[in-house]
Amino acid sequence: MRAASSIAAAARWVRPGGIAILLPLAAWAVLAAVPWIGVEPNLVRLLFITFIWTITGIAWNLLGGFAGQVSFGFAVFYGLGAYTTALLINDGVHPYLAFGASALVASLASLIVGIPTFRLRGPYFAIATIGVSETVRVIMTNLAITGGASGYRIVEKRPFDQAEHFYSALVLLTVSFLLSVWIARSKFGLGLVAIRDHESAAADVGVNPLTHKLAVHGLAAALAAMAGGVFARYAAFIHPQGVFAFNTSVYIVLIPVIGGLGTLWGPVLGGVIFGIVEEQLVATFPEAHLLIYGALLILIVLLEPGGIIGIVRKVSRHRRLRSAT
Amino acid sequence: MAALDWLNVLVAAILLAGIYAVMSVGMTIIYGVMKIVNLAHAGFMMLGAYFAYELFERLHLDPLLGAFLAFPVFFVIGRLVYWLFVRWLPVSDQPTLASLLLMFGIWLVLQNLAYLVWGNEDRSIFTSRTFLTSQIGPLTVSTLRLVAFAVAVVSLLVLELVLRWTWFGRSVRALIQNRYAGQLAGVDTRRTASLTFGLGIAFAGMAGALLASLYSFNPDFGRPFLIRSFVIIVLGGLESASGVALGAVVLALAETVGILFVPAGYQLAISFGLLVVVLLVLPGGLARLFARKYRPA
Amino acid sequence: MMCSPRSVGLSLFCSAAWMALAVAPGCKREEKKAVAVEAITLGVVLPITGREAKPGQYQKEGIELAIKQINQAGGVTVKSVGRKIPFKEIFYDDGSDQAKSASFVERTMSSDGAVTVIGGYSTALGEAESVMADRYKVPWLTPGAAASAIFNRGYQYAFGALTPVDVLGSTTAEFLQYVVDQGKLKKGSTVALALENTDHGIDYGNGIKHWIEKHPGSFTVVFSETFDLGSPDFSGLLQKIKTAKADILLADAHLQDYITMHRQYIQNGMKHLMISYGARGPESDARKALGDGVDYVFAGIWWSKSLPYPQAKQFTKDYQEAYGREPDSWYAATAYDSVRLLVKAIETAGSLDKTAIRDSLRTTELSGSILPGQTLRFAANGQAQNPFVIVQNKPGGKVDIVFPKDAATGDVIAPIPTSG
Repeated sequence: MRAASSIAAAARWVRPGGIAILLPLAAWAVLAAVPWIGVEPNLVRLLFITFIWTITGIAWNLLGGFAGQVSFGFAVFYGLGAYTTALLINDGVHPYLAFGASALVASLASLIVGIPTFRLRGPYFAIATIGVSETVRVIMTNLAITGGASGYRIVEKRPFDQAEHFYSALVLLTVSFLLSVWIARSKFGLGLVAIRDHESAAADVGVNPLTHKLAVHGLAAALAAMAGGVFARYAAFIHPQGVFAFNTSVYIVLIPVIGGLGTLWGPVLGGVIFGIVEEQLVATFPEAHLLIYGALLILIVLLEPGGIIGIVRKVSRHRRLRSAT
Repeated sequence: MAALDWLNVLVAAILLAGIYAVMSVGMTIIYGVMKIVNLAHAGFMMLGAYFAYELFERLHLDPLLGAFLAFPVFFVIGRLVYWLFVRWLPVSDQPTLASLLLMFGIWLVLQNLAYLVWGNEDRSIFTSRTFLTSQIGPLTVSTLRLVAFAVAVVSLLVLELVLRWTWFGRSVRALIQNRYAGQLAGVDTRRTASLTFGLGIAFAGMAGALLASLYSFNPDFGRPFLIRSFVIIVLGGLESASGVALGAVVLALAETVGILFVPAGYQLAISFGLLVVVLLVLPGGLARLFARKYRPA
Repeated sequence: MMCSPRSVGLSLFCSAAWMALAVAPGCKREEKKAVAVEAITLGVVLPITGREAKPGQYQKEGIELAIKQINQAGGVTVKSVGRKIPFKEIFYDDGSDQAKSASFVERTMSSDGAVTVIGGYSTALGEAESVMADRYKVPWLTPGAAASAIFNRGYQYAFGALTPVDVLGSTTAEFLQYVVDQGKLKKGSTVALALENTDHGIDYGNGIKHWIEKHPGSFTVVFSETFDLGSPDFSGLLQKIKTAKADILLADAHLQDYITMHRQYIQNGMKHLMISYGARGPESDARKALGDGVDYVFAGIWWSKSLPYPQAKQFTKDYQEAYGREPDSWYAATAYDSVRLLVKAIETAGSLDKTAIRDSLRTTELSGSILPGQTLRFAANGQAQNPFVIVQNKPGGKVDIVFPKDAATGDVIAPIPTSG
């Protein structure tokens, strides 16, 4: 999974004034107009789900793609965000404040989790993250105050306005994406990549691994938590076996990996595949969608670890070489 | 609780440890040699269970025999999987994201193939031996669990012997300790990796076949075992079969005894809590703790 | 500082991909609106993979059997259209995942134009799905989720064909009292409760405890704990139960856990005077897995093929013809009758307007129902209130209805005979 120049390459795409920024902006404008055009609710729902998955993918990518810290238990922050938002909204707090509070809670939790676990190397870190996530899931399943295994229902006084949910997700997605761009172009981002490539060497040149890791962990956790909160508000019912599930953690990993680990657009592509393609897959092949998914994963890992972005790059590189000769 | 009840609990824990040990051995050696966290372990265990089931249903073969047969069959399957998929993974002395994802992908594929072939119903193997109990002093224990325990002990012993006395075993230990140094010392890493992977899957298949007699299963089978295997790897360290045994015993004891003091709903939390604590306090696992004591100065 | 063709190409591709994938699914649906009503779209969202795969599968079979029979007769008479219209089923497998479940229900309600949605096997999936009913104002019927929590939220479009689980608990307690009255158990027997950690388990436990409170001196609860679903090992829990030395064990579990727990129960040589696993007992999977071990286990279920009603026997026969095996426990039956009640509701409403159908569902009664009591109707909160039957496994693979007395096909055997 080496994409050493990915950050530099990523930064190049968003150079101000280029066509490279106009096209995504146009696409964004189209999306923003979707609820206004009068499209059916199902499409809005699909896009909403896509946004949520993409946000979690971008968040994980910050930690796992840029900084190289592979967490297999990221659902814990997603779930914490979902429950914090749910509890606060039911207490009468304004939803946007609840989202903010979720971000804070998750960042705090990420500190508590990160300080001891970032000492670990190799698979132990990944396993520890699984342990943490599963422990929280079991605790939440038994905790009466949050409904325990029965789940928790959010009752909002306001009527359901799908467009509002859509926009809150879109705004969060935009913020997350811009944040990842900013990190990619910053010295902080370079430090993260340095840690990913060779942690002790990075330390030698003055990058403090622990503070960098904790910082990016906190950001990533905050984003994931807000995604969880926005989702919880929409679904109006959450459940420990759903938001804290091991499967959820794995999907959060799959999204940036399939799209392109460590790139900016990778999580976006992965999110699209996950939100839209996956659902079509399940609807059409209820008996075989796991098979297709697993096979796709195997192919990507073996043939093009850079994910879809990696494939696109190889193709465009061949084209360029061919046209140059 | 009376002394007899305590004894019951302890014996139950030891027997459970046997089950845990036999299911984790496969994952441990693959991880140790190749630094691959085999997420597909659950999938191969599940296949092992169906293997024993099919042999039982069609040929009326005793499931115990099925478990022994599973070993060579899954050894071959393991080497095939290595040759098809695993050998293309980038070599590293750290587990890579690629290996994690590849194994997860394989697990997904195995699960779904099983759904397509066998459907989603729960299957189980029911023989005249299923409810047989044996008397050990004042205690009544399930005979099948005793047998599983015996198989676990025997396989761990055999594994330990192989690791200690054969050339292959020494290659494996060399690669576990330091891959590059092992190569320098003349170990054929490719071949050893292939054999190790085969061995790991063989153990997984055998464990699954054994567990098929004890539990009911469906294509989702193996997930709680997979997660517990992680815990055992971490607890026991990776150097030897005794590490696995130690880890299994500690986990089984913690779970069985812990649940007496904690509401039953928190059983899993005990396992994971233990995992997290051990990781933080003893990053090398418990075995490392013992090893340090006895290493020559 | 030129934009390299590569970066342009890449962002072009990404934006295009995003837009195409986003808009494409939406475009397809635009043409549907103008077509005349050819079929009544019925959305079905059930798990056929994952934890709840088996019961979900059975419920799907029950629904599809009903649809097939109705369509064979021409369909549902809809007055506003003036003729019979067949059902069209749109099925989604939610994989036992509650987020997917809710998502598919939303999809079928908003995009497929479903007139009613049936689904939600098990409480969590049911709770998640129920949110969408009122949001999109489409009637939602669940033949598989019984937690009263779903129906106490004031939903206007949610209906459940299963009687609440706490009634199951109190029926079980009533049944045990009946056994005491027969002299087979002594008054004041002690009870150990092992409940799965879900709404289902907790409701069951509450049903029993409340009944006991209302009848002081009848029984004493000496042990009550919840356990996690899907555990491979229940040694610790069983040890605790053993230590409690109760007369009667009342557990509440899903099928897989019932099998695992009971297997270990027998292997540990445990014995009680009566034992039950809530709504699980007669399942054929359990008998296959445990052989004679399931003998004498009793269960409180929403339907049994041993019910003496001719319509129940006919259903069993039709099911056997369609699927090659008899209905397993109660799952398919409630789903089957849900569809039949829906048909009657649509015919009474006379139109395919969703709110009209909802209004009709509130008042329609299906007489000749195969469920106990032979009538299916929804109470004010949307939940059915049919009585339960208590069945007991008998040696030789037989399952008898042992309670209530007027539906009984055999005597209750209590205490459980100990062999040797």
